[in-house]
Amino acid sequence: MLPAMNNPHEDPAALKALQDDIYREKILRARKQTPAERLADVFELSDHQHQLMLAGAMHKLKTRDIHLGWAEVGRWMARLDRVRENGLYVTERTS
Amino acid sequence: MKLEELAIHVIEAAEATGVDFMAVGAIAAGAYGVPRSTRDVDVLVSMELPDGVTEIVQRLAPFVVFDPQVTFDTLTWGRRHVGQTRSAPPFKVELFETFDDPFVKSEFSRRQSVFVPLLQRSTWLPTPEDVVVQKLRWGRNKDLDDARDVLAVQGPETLDMAYIETWCRTHGTEDRLRTALEGIPPLE
Repeated sequence: MLPAMNNPHEDPAALKALQDDIYREKILRARKQTPAERLADVFELSDHQHQLMLAGAMHKLKTRDIHLGWAEVGRWMARLDRVRENGLYVTERTS
Repeated sequence: MKLEELAIHVIEAAEATGVDFMAVGAIAAGAYGVPRSTRDVDVLVSMELPDGVTEIVQRLAPFVVFDPQVTFDTLTWGRRHVGQTRSAPPFKVELFETFDDPFVKSEFSRRQSVFVPLLQRSTWLPTPEDVVVQKLRWGRNKDLDDARDVLAVQGPETLDMAYIETWCRTHGTEDRLRTALEGIPPLE
């Protein structure tokens, strides 16, 4: 039997310590990289994430048609843009 | 198309047009902070060549469909041209025009060239200090995270904090800067 573990979500201090540990690891890893290496990671992460989204979209649509999958991803991204850009961009300058 | 291939198309279009430019957004933040995924290739384009943006849009036409409607951001009233890739994935290109804003002028004048092996070429980026100031100015959640990440990864002791603080005072974002610095955990 596994030993009982404390749930950090029930202890704000433990949760903060856990969050700091995760963030610290990200910072220290990034500090070991050059700007060019970090840029390469941006591209790799972005390409990978879009492939995951494609898989999710095709699963949702129950299809093996990659074009339908990408169209669904496009629809999701358009919705996300409308949320994120709400009030931030307008088509006419008002001042 | 991969995002890096789109970035190469955009850089080549800007260089062939002969306009000064620099990458901004998640690409610039990722170069100095914690890399994160994005769907955008965002570029700030000098308006010294009046038709420069139009020419970039035309050169990118085989790969990107641009919205004919220019948009303005409601923070600074800068002009933005948005396009989406013709092929999957649905990546975006955002071309921001330089304009008569003291910070944008300063940021653009301080841009630096960085060679990116993955792209097999150099590209222009803002300084890390200017990424922090710009991200704090925009102030969306992801911008605030990006600003904190750049401060954390570069380390405030290596940055020109006086420059950052001066612009934050000008933009009224000193509280955001303080919060970002407080969000960095002890690294030892």
